[in-house]
Amino acid sequence: MSDDQITIEVDGKSLKANKGQMLIEITDANDIYVPRFCYHKKLTVAANCRMCLVEVEKAPKPLPACATPVMDGMKVKTRSKLAVNAQKSIMEFLLINHPLDCPICDQGGECELQDLAMGYGGDVSRYQEKKRVVKDKNIGPLIQTDLTRCIHCTRCVRFGEEVAGLREMGATGRGENMEIGTYIEKSVNSEMSGNIIDLCPVGALTSKPFRYSARTWELVEKDGIAPHDSVGSNIHIHIKGDRVKRVAPADNEAINEVWLSDRDRFSYEGIYSEDRLQNPMIKEEGVWKEVDWETALDVVKQKLGSALESHGANQLGVLASPSSTLEELYLLQKIARAVGTNNIDARLRQVDFSDQNSVSQFPWLGTSIADLETLQSALLIGSNVRKEQPIINHRLRKAALKGAAIMMLNPVDYDFNYPVETKTIVAPEKMPMELAAILKALIETTGQSIDEQTKQCIDNIDITDAHRKMADKLANADDAIVLLGNIATAHPHFSLLRSLAGLIAKHSNSKIGYLSEAANSSGVWLSGVLPHRLAGGVESTNVGLNTHAMLQEKLKAYVLMGVEPEMDCWDSRAARTAMNEAELVISLTAYRSDEIEKYADVMLPVSVFAETSGTFINNAGSSQTFAGVVPPVGQARPAWKFLRVLGNLFNLDGFDYESSSDVLDEVMQSIGEIKTNNMDQWQSPTSLEPASNDLQRITEIPMNMIDSICRRAVSLQKTADVSDGAIHINTALAGKNNLTDADNARVEQDENSVTLKVVVDDRVPDDCVLIQAAHIAQIDLGASFGSIRIAKA
Amino acid sequence: MADKIKKYINSLFLWELLKGLRLTGRYMFKRKITVQYPEEKTPQSHRFRGLHALRRYPNGEERCIACKLCEAVCPAVAITIESEPRDDGSRRTTRYDIDLTKCIFCGFCEESCPVDSIVETRIFEYHGEKRGDLLMTKPRLLEIGDMVEKQLAEDRAKDALYR
Amino acid sequence: MTETAKTILTEHTRSEIDVWLKKYPEDRKQSAVLAALREAQHQNHGYLTTELMDAVAEYLGMSNIAVYEVASFYSMFETQPVGRHSISVCTNISCLLMGSDDIVEHVEKKLGIKTGETTADGKFYIKCEEECLAACCGGPMMMIDHKYYENLTPEKVDEILDGLD
Repeated sequence: MSDDQITIEVDGKSLKANKGQMLIEITDANDIYVPRFCYHKKLTVAANCRMCLVEVEKAPKPLPACATPVMDGMKVKTRSKLAVNAQKSIMEFLLINHPLDCPICDQGGECELQDLAMGYGGDVSRYQEKKRVVKDKNIGPLIQTDLTRCIHCTRCVRFGEEVAGLREMGATGRGENMEIGTYIEKSVNSEMSGNIIDLCPVGALTSKPFRYSARTWELVEKDGIAPHDSVGSNIHIHIKGDRVKRVAPADNEAINEVWLSDRDRFSYEGIYSEDRLQNPMIKEEGVWKEVDWETALDVVKQKLGSALESHGANQLGVLASPSSTLEELYLLQKIARAVGTNNIDARLRQVDFSDQNSVSQFPWLGTSIADLETLQSALLIGSNVRKEQPIINHRLRKAALKGAAIMMLNPVDYDFNYPVETKTIVAPEKMPMELAAILKALIETTGQSIDEQTKQCIDNIDITDAHRKMADKLANADDAIVLLGNIATAHPHFSLLRSLAGLIAKHSNSKIGYLSEAANSSGVWLSGVLPHRLAGGVESTNVGLNTHAMLQEKLKAYVLMGVEPEMDCWDSRAARTAMNEAELVISLTAYRSDEIEKYADVMLPVSVFAETSGTFINNAGSSQTFAGVVPPVGQARPAWKFLRVLGNLFNLDGFDYESSSDVLDEVMQSIGEIKTNNMDQWQSPTSLEPASNDLQRITEIPMNMIDSICRRAVSLQKTADVSDGAIHINTALAGKNNLTDADNARVEQDENSVTLKVVVDDRVPDDCVLIQAAHIAQIDLGASFGSIRIAKA
Repeated sequence: MADKIKKYINSLFLWELLKGLRLTGRYMFKRKITVQYPEEKTPQSHRFRGLHALRRYPNGEERCIACKLCEAVCPAVAITIESEPRDDGSRRTTRYDIDLTKCIFCGFCEESCPVDSIVETRIFEYHGEKRGDLLMTKPRLLEIGDMVEKQLAEDRAKDALYR
Repeated sequence: MTETAKTILTEHTRSEIDVWLKKYPEDRKQSAVLAALREAQHQNHGYLTTELMDAVAEYLGMSNIAVYEVASFYSMFETQPVGRHSISVCTNISCLLMGSDDIVEHVEKKLGIKTGETTADGKFYIKCEEECLAACCGGPMMMIDHKYYENLTPEKVDEILDGLD
C-alpha cells in the first residue's frame, strides 16, 4: 500500500503516516506527546476539548491534532509558541468551572486534568465569578459521580454508544447548563460500565466501592489475570499494604484490548468478604473448632486415610472449581489418582457427558479472540454471551456493526447490544430440532452428502425459510463460526447439540467453538481434572465418575476445591443431598457458609485470586501465568501448597515442589503443545426425541453469581445481574396459571416443591420457566433442566 | 628579651585573671537573661513547631478531609492515615496516627495541609512513659487541638499575612 | 415495536411526524426529532414529559437519552410543566430601547408571577427569552405561542392576554 504512505514533519522530525490517519495517531505512535482529554484511541473523535491544538504550517489558526487528517508534506509544530499558548488558553477555560477539590478527589494523583494543569495551567486563576455546581447523579452501585468536576469530554457518552452499545449517558442542557448524566434517575446497566471510570480524564466518574479508601500514590500496581470468565482479561491489581484496593484493565490487544467487564473489575470485594474462612476448621461432634494447619493436615490425613481404607478409593469423589489455577488442578488430580480414584471432575454445570471421549485436547473457542471481529457470520447456540463473556461479546459486536450476521438460538430472548440477524427462541427441548432443521436446510442448499444415520435423524424435520436463511448466512460467509455457549453445555442433550452444531459448521465450512464458562475451563481438560483423561489429555484406562454421577451415586467421601456444590452444580439438590449424606467432606474453601458448615467435616482456608500464583488457560488456548500479589487473608494458604504437603503426608512420590512454577513446568511438560481442534470431535447424532408437552425448566447463571467470589462481592450483588430466587414466566403462562407479578407460586420439580416469587418476563418462551441458579431459595428444586410444575401458592 | 620580661610581669600580677574577672564583673551587673525553667519560660514564636494537633472548624466539624498530603510529604514517614466515606458521604479519616518518635518536627505536614487541619502547637513539654505513649492517635490529636484552639487560631491569623 | 409510542402519541401527532419522516431517508429517521418533539409538546399543551420524549424516541428508533439531549438543548422545548400559553417578551437591545422593561413589568404584574413562572391556573407561563426574537422594527414585541405581537403598549398587552382562552 505504498500509495497510501505519506510523509509529514512534526517538530522537525520526518514521520511516515498513512493517508486518512489523524495527526494525533502519528504523534502517539512516535512518542511525541500532544495533550488531550476527549481523544481516546478506542473511541470516535469528538474534538470537543480542544486541548490537542497544534500549529500546522499554512493553517491560519491552531488545529486539533485529533481531528486533523494528515496530508503529505504537512509541517506540524506541537511545542511552538502558538500551539502552547492555545493549549494554555484552553486549559484556563477548562479550569474555570473545575472545582479545586483535588485533595478529596479519588482521581487526584492519576488525573489527566491535574497532570496537564501542572504543564499548562496558570499559577493564579483570573476567574473571580461563581463556579458552576452540578448535582451528583446516582447511576448505580458501581460508579460514583461528581459531575461538578466534569469537563464535558464526552468519552463516557461515546463509550456508551460505541462500545457498550447502550446509550445511557448523554449531555443534556446547553452552554453552561450542559450536564453529563442519564437525565432521568436510573442505573447505568451495562456489563462493561466500569470502563467509564478509566475513560474519565477527571474525577467525575470514579469507582464507588473504592471511594475514598486510598490515594493513588499509595497504590502499588501488579499484574494479574481476571478469574471470572474464560477470556482471561489482563488486569492491573492495585494494592495498598496487604489489600487489593481495586482492579483496572491492562492493555492486551489480543484479548481484552483496553476494556474489562464489571465482574472482573469489582469482584475483588469478595476477597475481603466477612465470611472469609480465616483458619483451618474441623468439626468435632458437630461443633466447629479452629485449629492450626498442622492439626488440620493431620486430621485430613487421618480421616481421608480411614475413609479410603474402609470404603475404598472408588467411594471418594473429587470436585474442583473450574476457576482454580492450572497448578491446583494438576496437583489435585495427581493426588486423587495416586490414592486410586478417577472420580474427579470440574465440569460442574454439565450433565450430558456421553461424548466426552470425542473431544480433542479441550473444547476451545475455535478461533482467536481478536479474529472474532472479522467474522462475517456467527451462530450462537445457548449463550447469553453478553453477560457471560462480555469481552467476547464486544468482539462479536464489532463484527456485527461491520455487517456480520450474528444469529442466536436460545431458550431465553436475551438482549444484545448489536443488531442480531435472527433470534430463534425455543424451549430447551426443541433446541436440537432447530439445529437439525438448520442442518437439513444447509444440506438442501449446498447439496452435500451426509452419513445415513444423520440423514435418518433429520429426515422428518420440517424446515422453514428462517432455517434456510440461517443456513445460507453460514454457508455464504467466508468466515463463519458456530459457537456453543454455557446454556448449551448445561443442556441435557449437550452431545446432540454438539454433534448437530458440529455438522452445521462442517457443512457450511464454518468453524466451531465453545464459549467455555470459567477462567480455567480449558485448564481443566489439559490438567486432567476429568474422570476419563489424565494430564495432557491422555486417555485414562480407568474411567471414573463424572460430576453428575458422583453426586447421584452419593459417595462416602468428597474432596471439594473451591466448590460450593449446592450453588455451583447442575443439580443443586442432588449436590446438597450427596454432601449431607457423605461420611466425609473435606472442603478447600475460601469462605464459610451455613451450607458448607452443615455438610463439611474439615474446612481448609485457601487463597483466592490475587492471593495465589498460578496459570489460567483461556478458551483461545493462551496460557497466562500470574503471581500472587497480596498475602492471603488470615491463615489461608494457596491450595497448591496445601496439596503439595498433603501429597507428602500420604508419602506420595513427586510432590517436592518449591514453587508453583515447578508445578507449572511439570504440567506443561505433560501437555506438550497446546493444540486442540474442535472439528469432527463429536459423535454422530443417533436420534432426535420429540419434545414433550411438559412445562420446561430453564436455568441461567446470572453474570454476578458465577462463582463464590462474585457471590460475595458486595457491590456486584447490588447490580441487576444477580439471582432473584424467582420464577420467570411469560405473560401467557402467567395468565394460564392465574399468576401475576410478585405473586407466590408453588414450584414442583420431581418430588420436591418450594414456593418462589413470580416475575413476569416475556423473554421466556411459552411453557418454560426460567430460574436463576445459585440462589438459596431454589436449591431444593434440583436439576437445571427438565420438567417442572407451577401453581398459585 | 623585653617580651620575656613583659610576660613575667603579667603573670606575676595575675593580669590574665583580672582580665577574665573584668568580664565576670561586667555580667554580674548586667540584666539577667537566664530563665528559671520550669518556673519561668522563654517567649515563643507564633511559628513554633511543637506537639501536633488536629483542628476543628468553629462549628465542631473536624477539618481533616483525609487527603493524605501530610502522609505523602512527611520525610520521616511518621504519619499513617486510613480513610473511608463517612455516613454523610464526606471523605474522612478512620485512622490518623503520628509516631512522635519518628517525627522530626519539620512542619511539612502543616505546610501541605489544604484545610489547616494538622498543625504544630506551641506545646513542647510532653513525654511518654511507656511504649505507645508517643504514638498520637486521631482522638488524642483532636483533643489537643480542642485544648489549644484559641492559641492556634491566633497564631494562624498572625501568620496569614505571610502566606 | 411502537406499541407504547402509539398509546402515548395521539394519532394526529403521529401523522404530523410521519409527514416529516417522509422528507428524510428511511434510515435517517432521527432527522425528524425536532419536528417530532414540537408535535409532542403541542399535543401536551406546551411542555414535554419524560414519557412523551420516550415515546418520540421509540417512534424514531433513537435512544431515549438522545431525545432528552435534544429536548433539553433547545429553549423552544419545555421539559418541566408550564402553562398553556407561553409568553416571551423580547428584552434584547432594540426592544429594550423601546421600553420592553415596562412591558415585562406589566405582564408580570398583571399575571402576578415572575418571569420563568406559571400562573396557578396553569394558563400562562412567562418564558425567559435569551435571544433577540428578530422583530426589531416592531419593538417592543412579544411572542405568545409562536405568534408575534409587535409595537406593544400595556393596554395592547392587556387586550392580547385577555383575548386568550
